[in-house]
Amino acid sequence: MRRTSQRVTLLILVLASITVLTLDYHGAANRGLTRVRNGVLDGLAPVQRVIADVLHPVGDAVAGAVHYGALQRQNEVLQNQVGSLRRQVAADNVASQQARQLLQLQALPFVGNTPQVDATVLSGPTSDFAYTLEIDKGTAAGVGVGEPVVGAGGFVGTVVAAGRSTAQVRLLQDNLTDIGVRLGAAGTATGVVTGQGRDSSLGLQILAGAARVHRGEWAFTSGTSAAGASAYPAGIPVATVTAVHRSPGGFNDSFTLEPLVNPASLQYVAVLQWLPPA
Amino acid sequence: MTLTSWARLVLVLLAGLVLQVAVVDQVTVLGAHADLMVLLAAAAGLVAGPERGGLVGFVVGLVADLVVTTPYGLSSLTFVLIGFGFGLLHRAPSSREGRTAQVAACVAAGAAGTVLFAFLGALVGQSGMLGRTAVDAVVVVTLGAVVLAWPALWAIRWSLGSAERAAAGYGVPSGGSATL
Repeated sequence: MRRTSQRVTLLILVLASITVLTLDYHGAANRGLTRVRNGVLDGLAPVQRVIADVLHPVGDAVAGAVHYGALQRQNEVLQNQVGSLRRQVAADNVASQQARQLLQLQALPFVGNTPQVDATVLSGPTSDFAYTLEIDKGTAAGVGVGEPVVGAGGFVGTVVAAGRSTAQVRLLQDNLTDIGVRLGAAGTATGVVTGQGRDSSLGLQILAGAARVHRGEWAFTSGTSAAGASAYPAGIPVATVTAVHRSPGGFNDSFTLEPLVNPASLQYVAVLQWLPPA
Repeated sequence: MTLTSWARLVLVLLAGLVLQVAVVDQVTVLGAHADLMVLLAAAAGLVAGPERGGLVGFVVGLVADLVVTTPYGLSSLTFVLIGFGFGLLHRAPSSREGRTAQVAACVAAGAAGTVLFAFLGALVGQSGMLGRTAVDAVVVVTLGAVVLAWPALWAIRWSLGSAERAAAGYGVPSGGSATL
């Protein structure tokens, strides 16, 4: 009897969960849920701001410990540049880094005349399975869903949810990201860059001109929506080609790309107030 | 469950959510972070049995889904199964060994919950949830659970413990639910 009661309870709870899950895919219910989610994130933002300020040095220390090997190699390379950078290093503290990032955001060469909203990164991914970050600007500052987000180095991601004072940005590395890009000499090759989750490398599906793509080249947003890829303004640097694997006949060439912006080191980003043409 | 238990549970869930978003999410290793919320669901099962474990798991999932961009309800479904499943291991611990076993089970629940979440996510069409991402997440969530399991169990015992004592008497195995 007891076991039957347990099974009925389990069945009811599973069905309730599936109902909620189904509602999330339903237009009107999804909009309501999104409003609630944005409200909760807005409510949590002040606490996050305070704790993020306190934890940034701790997080940097943890990251340094975890990536010690890579940092050591990087350090050897940087040692050669120490002489010329010594004066600059003297001023290298958290405040100057922040100022530098902000200044770079004010003069992004690839933004053109597109209006931008500068924002501070509040937190990294809130789920281990969705590669997003949260910024401290929302609809009140003019941030809207679908708008591209850039850092000093290039493309960062896309706004996927916007509350009044915060917004969620889906990063380039997220599995759901796909971006139409141009590569090669004079941008004659086209393709779609796809995120591959936490693995920092990106995939590239070439649509035309695979033979013209070489290692070391940059991929820029194409500004088109070919192959169902999301449309972004043209000319934003996205990634660099790090490996090319040629196949016999060139029919199945594969490419690996690395993002130009490392989201782990981002403190400031700019949201471009640009939406795809209707 | 008594009104006091519900009130305490709401407090624990709110505190857990704030801790998850503001602290736990900020400490990333291999690109992943620990998951306090799944531990609360598992702890509810371990402390109060499968039915209340499933119910608390459902509520914890609804709260946890408010701050992520994965489909709403996915955490609820996962946590219901974790709360109920680990609730089948429920015994009222009367010894230090019993408490240690609960912590170990809670850590295992962290790993199981992450695998289940990835699997169910893939099932509802979330691409890329299985594979390397899931492996990294399982490792990090399990390691994080070693640290967070005891506080999660303590918090759930505090919130549900009074109801448990009222229902079965503290320190006495609670009959039918101690089936495994």
